[in-house]
Amino acid sequence: MPKLKIEDLEKISDEFKRTMTVREGGGKVKVTVHMGTCGIAAGAREIMNTFVQQIEEKNVKDVILTTSGCAGLCSREPMATVEVLGQAPVKYVDLNSEKAKKIFEEHVLKGVLVKDYALSIGSERIQ
Amino acid sequence: MKSYRLQLMVCAGTGCVSNHSFEIKDALEKEIAKHKLQTEAEVVTTGCNGFCGAGPLVVVQPDGIFYQMLKVSDIPLLVEEHLLKGRPVKKLMYVPPKEEAPIPKMSNIPFFSDQTLVALRNRGMIDPENINDYIARGGYKALAKVLMSMTPDEVLQEIKKSGLRGRGGGGFPTGIKWETCKRIQSDTKYVICNADEGDPGAFMDRSIIEGDPHSVIEGMMIGAYAIQNICEGYIYVRMEYPLAIKRFNIAIEQAKEYGLLGEKIFDTDFNFDIKVRRGAGAFVCGESTALMTSIEGNPGEPRAKYIHTVEKGLWDKPTCLNNVETWTNVPPIILKGAEWFSSIGTGDVTHDAWGGSKGTKVFSLAGKVNNTGLVEVPMGITLRDIIFNIGGGIRDGKKFKAVQTGGPSGGFIPENLINLPVDYEELTKVGSMMGSGGMVVMDEDNCMVDMAKYFLKFTQEESCGKCIPCREGTKRMLDILENITSGKGKEEDLNLLEELSNVIVESSLCALGGSAPNPVLTTLKYFREEYEAHVKDKKCPARVCKQLLTYTIDEKQCVEVGHGCGVCKKNCPDNAIIGEIKKAHHIDQNKCGKCGVCYDVCRFNAIRVE
Amino acid sequence: MITVNIDGKDIQVAEETTIVKAAESAGIWIPTMCYSELFEPYGICRLCSVEIIRGKRTRIVTACNYPLRENGLKIRTNSPVIQEIRKVLIELMLSRWPNVPVVKNMAASLGVIEPKFVSLERDEAEDACILCGMCVNICRDVVKANILGFANRGIKREVVLPYEKMNSECIVCGACAYVCPTGHIKIKSLDYERGAVADWYLGPKTAINIPTLQAVPRVPKIDEESCIKTQTGGCGICSTYCEPEAINYEDKDEEVEIEVGQILLATGFQLIDLKQMPQYGYGRLDNVYSSLEFEHMLNSTGPTGGLVKCKDGSEPRAVGIIHCIGSRDENYHKYCSRVCCMYALKFAHLVKDRTKAEVYQFYIDMRAFGKGYEEFYKRLLDEGVNMIRGKVAEIAEVHSGSDGKPYLLVKCEDTLIGKFREIALDMVILCPAIEPQFDAADVKKIFSISQSPDKFFLERHPKLDPISTMTDGVFIAGCAQGPKDIPDSVAQASAAAARMLSLISLGEVALDPVKAEVVDEYCSGCRICNNLCPYGAISFVDDKKISNINEMLCKGCGTCVAACPASAITGKGFTDMQILSEIEGLLSI
Repeated sequence: MPKLKIEDLEKISDEFKRTMTVREGGGKVKVTVHMGTCGIAAGAREIMNTFVQQIEEKNVKDVILTTSGCAGLCSREPMATVEVLGQAPVKYVDLNSEKAKKIFEEHVLKGVLVKDYALSIGSERIQ
Repeated sequence: MKSYRLQLMVCAGTGCVSNHSFEIKDALEKEIAKHKLQTEAEVVTTGCNGFCGAGPLVVVQPDGIFYQMLKVSDIPLLVEEHLLKGRPVKKLMYVPPKEEAPIPKMSNIPFFSDQTLVALRNRGMIDPENINDYIARGGYKALAKVLMSMTPDEVLQEIKKSGLRGRGGGGFPTGIKWETCKRIQSDTKYVICNADEGDPGAFMDRSIIEGDPHSVIEGMMIGAYAIQNICEGYIYVRMEYPLAIKRFNIAIEQAKEYGLLGEKIFDTDFNFDIKVRRGAGAFVCGESTALMTSIEGNPGEPRAKYIHTVEKGLWDKPTCLNNVETWTNVPPIILKGAEWFSSIGTGDVTHDAWGGSKGTKVFSLAGKVNNTGLVEVPMGITLRDIIFNIGGGIRDGKKFKAVQTGGPSGGFIPENLINLPVDYEELTKVGSMMGSGGMVVMDEDNCMVDMAKYFLKFTQEESCGKCIPCREGTKRMLDILENITSGKGKEEDLNLLEELSNVIVESSLCALGGSAPNPVLTTLKYFREEYEAHVKDKKCPARVCKQLLTYTIDEKQCVEVGHGCGVCKKNCPDNAIIGEIKKAHHIDQNKCGKCGVCYDVCRFNAIRVE
Repeated sequence: MITVNIDGKDIQVAEETTIVKAAESAGIWIPTMCYSELFEPYGICRLCSVEIIRGKRTRIVTACNYPLRENGLKIRTNSPVIQEIRKVLIELMLSRWPNVPVVKNMAASLGVIEPKFVSLERDEAEDACILCGMCVNICRDVVKANILGFANRGIKREVVLPYEKMNSECIVCGACAYVCPTGHIKIKSLDYERGAVADWYLGPKTAINIPTLQAVPRVPKIDEESCIKTQTGGCGICSTYCEPEAINYEDKDEEVEIEVGQILLATGFQLIDLKQMPQYGYGRLDNVYSSLEFEHMLNSTGPTGGLVKCKDGSEPRAVGIIHCIGSRDENYHKYCSRVCCMYALKFAHLVKDRTKAEVYQFYIDMRAFGKGYEEFYKRLLDEGVNMIRGKVAEIAEVHSGSDGKPYLLVKCEDTLIGKFREIALDMVILCPAIEPQFDAADVKKIFSISQSPDKFFLERHPKLDPISTMTDGVFIAGCAQGPKDIPDSVAQASAAAARMLSLISLGEVALDPVKAEVVDEYCSGCRICNNLCPYGAISFVDDKKISNINEMLCKGCGTCVAACPASAITGKGFTDMQILSEIEGLLSI
């Protein structure tokens, strides 16, 4: 291991930032994939994997990916909710991996709503 | 770099480890593999979270779902429900006392939400055996800052301005200590980290070392830079902390590999190295001079401090010794500034370094509270806040009686002082002390004489025996207390205790003897009537001192409800119970050994204790 | 210098002076129990607690180790607070060690008679250890052997040796016992082998001593074997006390080279080692002495002041003197040691003179050959000394005496009456043989002289030249040449001195002209001649790589001439050419 220079501190810090973001529960955007039995049956795992791949590929540090149970709208599964910090959450329905990719690129990264797939804005979050 | 969707933070502090947290970790990994979630979820072992009473703990991030008191059999459910299906498992969550709804999020549990983390800033967040985790959380940035942009004097001024005071007991202003050590002319100086945490039930330092060893190392390096001419640092850890020793050694190795310890750190002229020394577990070795004598290879006994250790310490060289928590506080002060630090806490330290208590203090909360564990709170918080908010109040709805702060040589604080703000001066004023941060809560079932005896017994046994007042005096005090609690006390004993206490306080060689009588002095001050009940009426109001109790049988209850069952008679080891089956029993007081077995075995509540 | 105020008195002291010393200089008493000037103040008895007043703040410190550093500091050594502290402290000690004199005395001087505490660790012994730490400190700081230490914590503290065993690192200096204020540490003498000359010969002594009162020069010397400094590097106390600063630890034995023209060897003798004759019990039995030891006992500056005493201090009832121990003995030395008969008679006379003891002489032949000697022998017979002619077979210790006191039983054959006798004695003096020094052979080699069969140095001629040797310029005198008494030694030495002076006064030495000579060109440097020369006259010249003959030493014996393989050595005036020419000359006549 070569001796650390000051710049290296930043590099290491940067490299581990994604892990830390997850641990600290911070992050700019939170993506929730609904993984109830219905969701899994409709292919939520594939959506989840797509998001994970995207995060890794694009080397994104400040996005949190999480899961939740059934959202109650089983007929429109797979579903995902994207919540940009400080904005109302947006629910997307009838997803497949293509759609998920697009949502990730547009909404998660650029902050532009993908109206075509969106169901609603706002949610019935548990307090 | 692999990134995971989920991080399962398994607490691997000693408290949780002894509750089998490593088995939990293995079970988690197995279950995750079973569900093929290895690519999504990572299991991380962290240092102590502080909520040891609820261990073993797992926190699932990023949502911060807090699971407690886990068993291996809970794991399949947890993994399937939470990790796979995204449904946090309510029955494994924390339920506050007297309530029914569980609190899923760690940050919403009062035990955690009411704390202010400075020293414990990385707790539960990093893998203590991975230096990269520490760096990712801003580690070694403070070191880089002082080496690149600050002169040693600037660092010193920053620490002085912050108002940081020693967290190990005395509360000596850290900046002044560094400054004096810097002023003494010598080519060889040492810095020492005192990690010989000996107070029973206190584990602040262990928790910091086990959870965040690099923060201590970084603090020591900044201190070494500020003082200058430091040739070496020593970390003195007691043998009873094997995990802490291991983590320190790993941390030092990793820091050396990164060139953060050694020569020409960050390509500057600053050199520094650290050695770990293991203490054999003598309580007195937490005293700075005894600790240094021990490092020198001699039996750990204190010496007179009229010439301070900053002038003549380890091997007669100027030595700056601070405890673990003090060193850990240094990097955040450098990064966030003295103003930030001094905005937390009480008093004003701009003119008088002794004028206030700044920053936070870690306490180890134990005794009769609902939530026991480690808590870090801002200075100036009231005892009530700690005990009733963070601690969740007294267990089983009992009545609060007193809290003992500052370890075995601290004092007892009674209920009428519960709103006392916790800082160095206030605690000293009421006869106790900050100490290293022990906090034992007592309820109505605790006998104050017995508690004082308990703590005195500890210090008496741990006295090194070097000076007469501590060696002979504490033993005589203990004898007197033994007499009082066994019904042989005399009224003049109370004055004798006071007289002896004062002489021991005034004339002992080191702080161990100088503070050993505190439990007795404060209980005599605040709970004198309990002592008087013991010596005059030969009664223990809290019914703790067995020799002073009288066991009798309520004959009516015995015959009418229990039909003279005779269980007590069968179990009495002294054969003190007389009576026949179906008839009333009674106890021969001359034979009764006051063991209390009859009280425990009677199913009909017929035994009376007074 | 700074000024401090102790109990109202202004006192000037040097900076860093401790309060105890400052108070002492002002005549103020501060009680101490663990304090000694020999080592760094330990500060554990706390009896020397005093109040120091700095502005409005009062602090209690121990006077023994508090260094005075600031002007105007006020000190109160006897305030009510201090009195109370001292009282309680001494009561704590007195309750645990009620019978130890130092504790009792200190309690009395602090006004305490009965302690108000009851100690469960009460120790009634008068010599109990009071854990003052003096022994540990002196062993560590002064002696630097560092073998004493404390074990256990708190009330169970005790002073121990490592692993509570006797330790080889202990140099048995006795410093711990010396400083122990209660006498708890005692020096126990082990039964060791007596008889080594140093043990008894000069008696017990300290590391610094004047060897004997008749020593010349009569100054103290440091005995390296018992000096702490030479053993551990510690101590050094004597140098701090010696005002003229005369102590020099660095002083060592050294070799000095002196160039001289003549040498007189007077290396003397040694006594035979009596321990090789176990039948006499020397070194094993009490009250069996060698003659030299007895001589020391008789000396008025000796261990008993000249009185004849047994080991237990009593006067002997009967004393035996045994002649010819190792002399005239086929097993040891065949020769007579010459001096024993007469000193044995002297001993008998002095024992008779100083005690009422019976004296027995066990002899083979009485050899009173000198002037007045025979007369002395006669006088002794008149004094009633028992003379037993015969060799002693054995000396045994017998314990069955009527008074329970053991005595020595000497078994011998009395050849005059032809009977085997057993004689009970309290003391036996053995007359050991005189023998050459153990290193006589080495000395012989150095000076190229010879030894006679008895290993004494050989003189050039027993009758005509008993003082010189075969090596010119080397003379011998005294017992180095053979056993002899003082008058004989003096006579021989005087003769040798006179011989040497005559050579010096001449200023030159007449030598025999017949010498050998090395022809440099022919010498191959083989060195065969070097060792052959009986006079040590040939040496090898390193830079020329040839041998050279010292003309002063060469006797012209011709050994080297004959031995030289290169014929490089010739006799001066006797070269082949010269001899042949001489023969030629003779033949031509």
